[in-house]
Amino acid sequence: MTARGFAHNLRLHLIAGAVVVSFAVVALRLVELHVLDREHYLSQIQDARHRVVADPARRGDILDARGDLLATTRTDLTLAIDPWALPEKVEAQKFATRKAAYETEQRAARAALADLLGVPAADLEAAYAPAWKTVPVAEDTEDDAADGRVRVRYVKFIEGVTEETFARILALRLPGKKDPVRIAGLTHERRFRRVYPHRDLAAHVLGYVNKEDVPSGGVEAYADRYLKGLSGWREIERDGKRTELAQFRQREVPAADGWNVVLSIDCAIQHIVEQEMGALVAKFNPAKATIIVSDARTGFLLALANHPTFDLNEFGTAPLEKQRNIAAADLVEPGSTFKIVTLAGALNEGLVTPATKFDCTLDSLVYNGKPRRFMRDDHRYDHPLTLAEVISHSSNIGTAQVGMLLGERRLYDYARAFGYGERSGYPLGREEPGLLADPARWSGIDITRIPAGYSIAATPLQIHYGMGVIASGGQLLRPQVIRQVLDASGEVVYSFRPAVRRTVIAPATAETMARMLQKVASPDGTAKAAAIPGFEIAGKTGTAQKLINGRYSERNHVGSFVGFFPASRPRVVVSVIVDDGHPPGGGTGYGAVVAVPSFRKVAEQLIQYLDIKPVAAPGSALAAIVPEGGRR
Amino acid sequence: MNSRATRAFATQIVLGSLVALGAGGGLGFAIVDLRHDISVSANTARVLDQRIAETERRVAEIGGLVAAGQSPEVLEQRNQALALGLVPPAEARVVRVGVSVTDRLAANRKAEIFAAETGQTLVPVRFNLGGAPR
Repeated sequence: MTARGFAHNLRLHLIAGAVVVSFAVVALRLVELHVLDREHYLSQIQDARHRVVADPARRGDILDARGDLLATTRTDLTLAIDPWALPEKVEAQKFATRKAAYETEQRAARAALADLLGVPAADLEAAYAPAWKTVPVAEDTEDDAADGRVRVRYVKFIEGVTEETFARILALRLPGKKDPVRIAGLTHERRFRRVYPHRDLAAHVLGYVNKEDVPSGGVEAYADRYLKGLSGWREIERDGKRTELAQFRQREVPAADGWNVVLSIDCAIQHIVEQEMGALVAKFNPAKATIIVSDARTGFLLALANHPTFDLNEFGTAPLEKQRNIAAADLVEPGSTFKIVTLAGALNEGLVTPATKFDCTLDSLVYNGKPRRFMRDDHRYDHPLTLAEVISHSSNIGTAQVGMLLGERRLYDYARAFGYGERSGYPLGREEPGLLADPARWSGIDITRIPAGYSIAATPLQIHYGMGVIASGGQLLRPQVIRQVLDASGEVVYSFRPAVRRTVIAPATAETMARMLQKVASPDGTAKAAAIPGFEIAGKTGTAQKLINGRYSERNHVGSFVGFFPASRPRVVVSVIVDDGHPPGGGTGYGAVVAVPSFRKVAEQLIQYLDIKPVAAPGSALAAIVPEGGRR
Repeated sequence: MNSRATRAFATQIVLGSLVALGAGGGLGFAIVDLRHDISVSANTARVLDQRIAETERRVAEIGGLVAAGQSPEVLEQRNQALALGLVPPAEARVVRVGVSVTDRLAANRKAEIFAAETGQTLVPVRFNLGGAPR
């Protein structure tokens, strides 16, 4: 009998047939999967594995002039709970003993978690209570019941968990266990959050970013285009455990973090100012107050503090009233601080000299054919006052006469040139233009009131930068806060330069005014307490009665002092404006009472911090150590 | 049909299939291995990315804490709490010197050195730290 062996015809046919059939089956299945049911399976994969993940950009930092952080961005976490995850995992355990052990372990883990987070364990247990919610039947795709009831899968438990705390949660170990415990149903969501390390420091300058990442006011809103960066995204696939399969990353647009913004605000000066503001508020309990410090030569703000203020990290609890930057958004009558406009205008026009005398005992004077009654002075003078004395004694009658010399139109033009009646260009937030009527609409007595700073209204910033005209040698400077914009590597992207809005008066006029304003802070002036020996303090006090219910109040005043120093080469301009201050003992809130002491305290500290050298009289020994330089 | 030819054909199919399976399997293994390597590399890169991001997050958090700790207000509170007695410089406490500082220091030093010879008595300086009672 012939051996048939492996190559027997029938067997061969069977094997060959089986191979062919197997391949055919595989091929058919492949056709079914890849051709016939392609869309079905692709959509399943897309739903289950494919995700587009946002990659949010980190918002840039805000730094002060020395590089200290004023605003930064850090991440924090929101912990949430899927209450159904725990019973599902318990159910998935095969044996009753394992179920019990798992439940015990999870209970201990939850207790440890609550302890770590500092929340009552009962609150956490309540969040883990499985619950249902009602939805439209059409949206009930959770199970086949279609009864309009679905499981609540997300319960927000706690917000603002720090990275450090979260790291401790991930490393949570139960006694006797080697590995960290995984808490069933605990999920987290990480997001950027803006923080302000100095809390209320420079609150009105910085502004804040709210919980929806929308900037509100201040540098945050103004420099948002630099700070916010550009968020990215990437398409990813995930496995069954929801872990990203990095090899299947398809398209990726990386996030570009925001740029950093460097301010001209100096943290130390801001602190000096806010500390003084605190002392001022404690002593005089004003309704509002503002202290502004700026660089006399460039117009850059070094500090700006308002009362009332608020903690930037708690912006949600601060009423809008506290969030308003009153330095730019509130109007006050400037009072006598406006007299510098009248006198500088007359000097600049050559109508008067510092030695020109005025009879300040008059009650009225004929102007344009009609007698005009003056506002009375606080003091009676037994001799005609020179122009220098008019400003140092703050005579309303003398100033009104200078105003009459200047005339309504020129007085108006100088006021506008000094920045009154128009927005200063302060970039951060809402700014009021102030009130300065055209001379055509002035009443008969306005020519006696407006030269002394009544019947007009201005923001504290306008008053401050008006004095800045004298300090800068005759130029009206634009208020600026941002010095530089830096990219993530610290390279300068953009530098802001000092901006001159216009030249208002001649340098010689500014110098004459500065010398006259020095007399204000002399023993004969209205602000003798402002004097600091050797530092040539120049400035002007202001006390304006507040207009309440259409009448000037005898009890409510806006007291102010706006000054700069050293007068011969100004470094800083400082304004202290106190609205409705109440001196202890019940006196009047004159500028000399409520504002001058604060000016002096701030100035004394600025001298040390900015290393401002004393200016000696010619020929004195101190001249040997005074460096050369300066504007004048 | 010639049975020999049929057997040869069937043998070729079987062998061909086996070769195809072997080659396909080998290729498959190679591809799987390659994809595994790609996956490992990609996941390593992802983990590193995560660690970098985590480090940056910690740096930002610590930076914020440092900034808060260096806040003038906090420093002032610590100054008080630790009774360090540090005070901000004030003009009233500054003595401005009108002569050459070098000459003045030299003169002071000479005065100390020759104090014994000239019979002068130097009064030692006492520091009253932190405003503590004397």
